[in-house]
Amino acid sequence: MSVRTTGLVTLIHREILRYVRRPWNTFLPPTITNALYLIVFGVILGGRIQVTGTSYIHFILPGLIVLGAVSDAFQNSSFSIFHGRWNEYIHEVQTAPLSYTEMVVSYVLSSALRGTLIAVLIGAIGVLFTNLLPSMAPIGFAHPVLVVAFVVVITLLFASFGVIGGLWAEDFDHLTVMNQFIIRPLVFFGAVFYPLTDLSPFWQNASLLNPMVYMVEGLRFAMLGSSTLDPGLSLGVLSVVTAVLVAVDVQLFKRGFGLTD
Amino acid sequence: MSESPTHDILFQLPLLPIAVTLAISASNLKKSYGEVQALDGISLSVEQGEFFGLLGPNGAGKTTFINTLVGLVKKSSGDASVFGYDIETEYREARDRIGLAPQEYNVDRFFPIREVLIHKAGYHGITEAEAASRAETALKTVGIYDKRNTRFDWLSGGMKRRFMLARALVTDPELLILDEPTAGVDVELRHDLWEIITELNDSGTTILLTTHYIEEAERLCDRVAIMDQGRKLTVASPESLMERGSDTIRLTLADAPSEPPAIDDDRIESLWIEGAQLVVTARTGGEIAPALIRALDHSGHTVLDMNIERTSLEEVFVSLTNGEEPGRTGASQQEVAQ
Repeated sequence: MSVRTTGLVTLIHREILRYVRRPWNTFLPPTITNALYLIVFGVILGGRIQVTGTSYIHFILPGLIVLGAVSDAFQNSSFSIFHGRWNEYIHEVQTAPLSYTEMVVSYVLSSALRGTLIAVLIGAIGVLFTNLLPSMAPIGFAHPVLVVAFVVVITLLFASFGVIGGLWAEDFDHLTVMNQFIIRPLVFFGAVFYPLTDLSPFWQNASLLNPMVYMVEGLRFAMLGSSTLDPGLSLGVLSVVTAVLVAVDVQLFKRGFGLTD
Repeated sequence: MSESPTHDILFQLPLLPIAVTLAISASNLKKSYGEVQALDGISLSVEQGEFFGLLGPNGAGKTTFINTLVGLVKKSSGDASVFGYDIETEYREARDRIGLAPQEYNVDRFFPIREVLIHKAGYHGITEAEAASRAETALKTVGIYDKRNTRFDWLSGGMKRRFMLARALVTDPELLILDEPTAGVDVELRHDLWEIITELNDSGTTILLTTHYIEEAERLCDRVAIMDQGRKLTVASPESLMERGSDTIRLTLADAPSEPPAIDDDRIESLWIEGAQLVVTARTGGEIAPALIRALDHSGHTVLDMNIERTSLEEVFVSLTNGEEPGRTGASQQEVAQ
């Protein structure tokens, strides 16, 4: 392993160890939350909610996976960087001979991995629920490659976005603000719990300005085999946005935004 | 650690001396925070293998200078390099050569200290097995190996200070930067740390030390730079700095006169009577003392006792940072006495 690779791998390893060693903080909360979502919306209320062509639990699962995956990817990179800045131990990374690109890639990859693990966890809960209920068809994955592609891209995207959040925040409250007042509303109005076609034409078009819609609809197509938006276009746009955000992250690190005096 | 580039060493001509790259080279380095000029055109050279001290009051710009070298502060203008590598365009090479023990604690709180060291070494491209071995060595060197599985927050104050040094050492740096390493530590720990860094310097590590303790600089440093308000006031060895000040010779006389006797010697800067003592200031107290005793004997005064007080680095430091000409300390005392 070359000198440069060792530095990159070490920082990724450190970042992964940070959340893997604290499962009660990182993996347990989304497990409980999503189990509750599926019990209430999928099992208890699901029978009363009509969605064309599929049961409600099947319909909401892709949205819940997106919600959990992007929230955790964002939270991980933003918290890790902000906490490092707050306690100044990010200096250990800053003063090391890592390139700015390596620093960004480490934070983004490790955070995207956490988002992906959450996606797998929520998917597994969905599979468990549908297999336990005899009246329900098991969860299927119509386009498994697309499932993987969407999960990878959306977690990378929000991990990259989280880097900006971690550099921008000056207080813990700022992280809460970003999560509660920006990400969560976008997710809830991102066709997680309702099909776009239930909205009036105006709100359907307005929803298309919400990037979360493309993620939810994309993953829905990959899992169920049908959606209201072209998944190829969604994946392409999301990939471009991710690349742009990573480039912005690198520039911010290079300029020392939030990092240097 | 990557290898030095070929331009590190300039072979000018076969028979001429070889110009070795400086460990630190700063030229007209400036850093401003709005109206505040933290670094005001610092130019400084530190040679390889040197033990170099930065002295100055709070706000002199010592930490800003250090943080500029390691990438925690963006310079406003000027140039700086570490072992020939520019701190901005060749930041990776420059940072790879530096081990930093900052004054403020900035340690990863999520992991036991042994793992913190392994991570730090890993960022410098050291493999995990080698990093683990170095971490153990570094912890043993500073005497906190028993605490290897403890998190930083649970260490005592002295152990924390020791750990800061261990973290700086784990990458085996060519340049060790110590920012107030003994601030707030007890005497025993201070001597331990002095011993460790002296041994490192003896084995070839260049050391840049900032300190408030004049004694520390006097005892450890080959050269010191005195800084104030972002500027470098002077650079010299502690000995030559002390020579800039005046020695004070106190002669206890059997029958002290009310007025100082007339003594014809150009080396005398000032003299006055203080109770039963004749107090004389001169650049080199040891040289002038015999002549003084003879002159007093000739004029009928009996010298009962004599004491020569060497100028301390602290006096020179205070003079320089107060904007006075070094060496006028004695004269100031005279003015006060009169």
